[in-house]
Amino acid sequence: MLNTISKALRLFAGALVAAAFVFQASAADAQTRSQMGRDKGQYIPGIWVDPDGCEHWAMDDGAEGYMTPHVTRQGIPVCRRGNVCGVMNTDQFFATDSYRINAPGKQRLAQFFQSTGAISYIITGHTDSRASDEYNMRLSLNRANAVAAVATQSGVRIADVRGYGERMPAASNGSAAGMAKNRRVEIICIR
Amino acid sequence: MFKMKIILVTACALSLTACADAGNIFGKSADKSYDGGPGRKSLSQLKAGIWVDPVGCDHWIIDDGVEGYLSQRLDKYGKPVCSGVAEPTFTAGDFSSGATIRDPN
Repeated sequence: MLNTISKALRLFAGALVAAAFVFQASAADAQTRSQMGRDKGQYIPGIWVDPDGCEHWAMDDGAEGYMTPHVTRQGIPVCRRGNVCGVMNTDQFFATDSYRINAPGKQRLAQFFQSTGAISYIITGHTDSRASDEYNMRLSLNRANAVAAVATQSGVRIADVRGYGERMPAASNGSAAGMAKNRRVEIICIR
Repeated sequence: MFKMKIILVTACALSLTACADAGNIFGKSADKSYDGGPGRKSLSQLKAGIWVDPVGCDHWIIDDGVEGYLSQRLDKYGKPVCSGVAEPTFTAGDFSSGATIRDPN
């Protein structure tokens, strides 16, 4: 008999807990005026691709339009294509550890900047993973600055110059070919 | 032409519905990926220009009739693009998207 009563009590308590959950769930359905419409406050976005090739979340809720960049949790934009318009293999332009561009390299670069006709350029330097991170950050920035100096002499506008050292590899540093690919200066063309 | 927009907006203000997008008189479903107004279309077709913020950095700007959109222009590293295409607070390019509703400016 005692057993039956305690069983009934447990059942009742269980039902109470369940009811509380149901109540909470329905409260969550309509917390504010914004969640009371036909959409219950859900905004499923579409994707708009900008002229650079990068994605944005786009929403139209009837009267208003909304948009924000689609980025990864690391803050990197999700793009279908890039606007990198030139990748310089630094082995061809600089001696090891140097950030002085050789004469034929300067000429090639000046020609590139004079013929491309973008609104402005972003220059980013990169290295492979040998030597210290600190050293590579400095070397890559020095090399990017050397490229930017040629651009400025050619009469074009530079939007930004950065050194990323070994932190943004384009290939694996596990092979000689990969490391060679990572030793580079990227030129982004803003059109 | 901008009169049409004023009439539309006034009609919206007077009615109890969400207004403007005539195709959604009873409220829009959770799918917000299309423009249900005159000439229903997917938002992927929007045409953008550039608005330069007071700091000098670029944003994509779109005027799609009644809706307006603004979203930051970022490079592949996630940094703002500050191209100098126009002076701060000015715009570049045609960003009216071929919209049939024009603004009173």
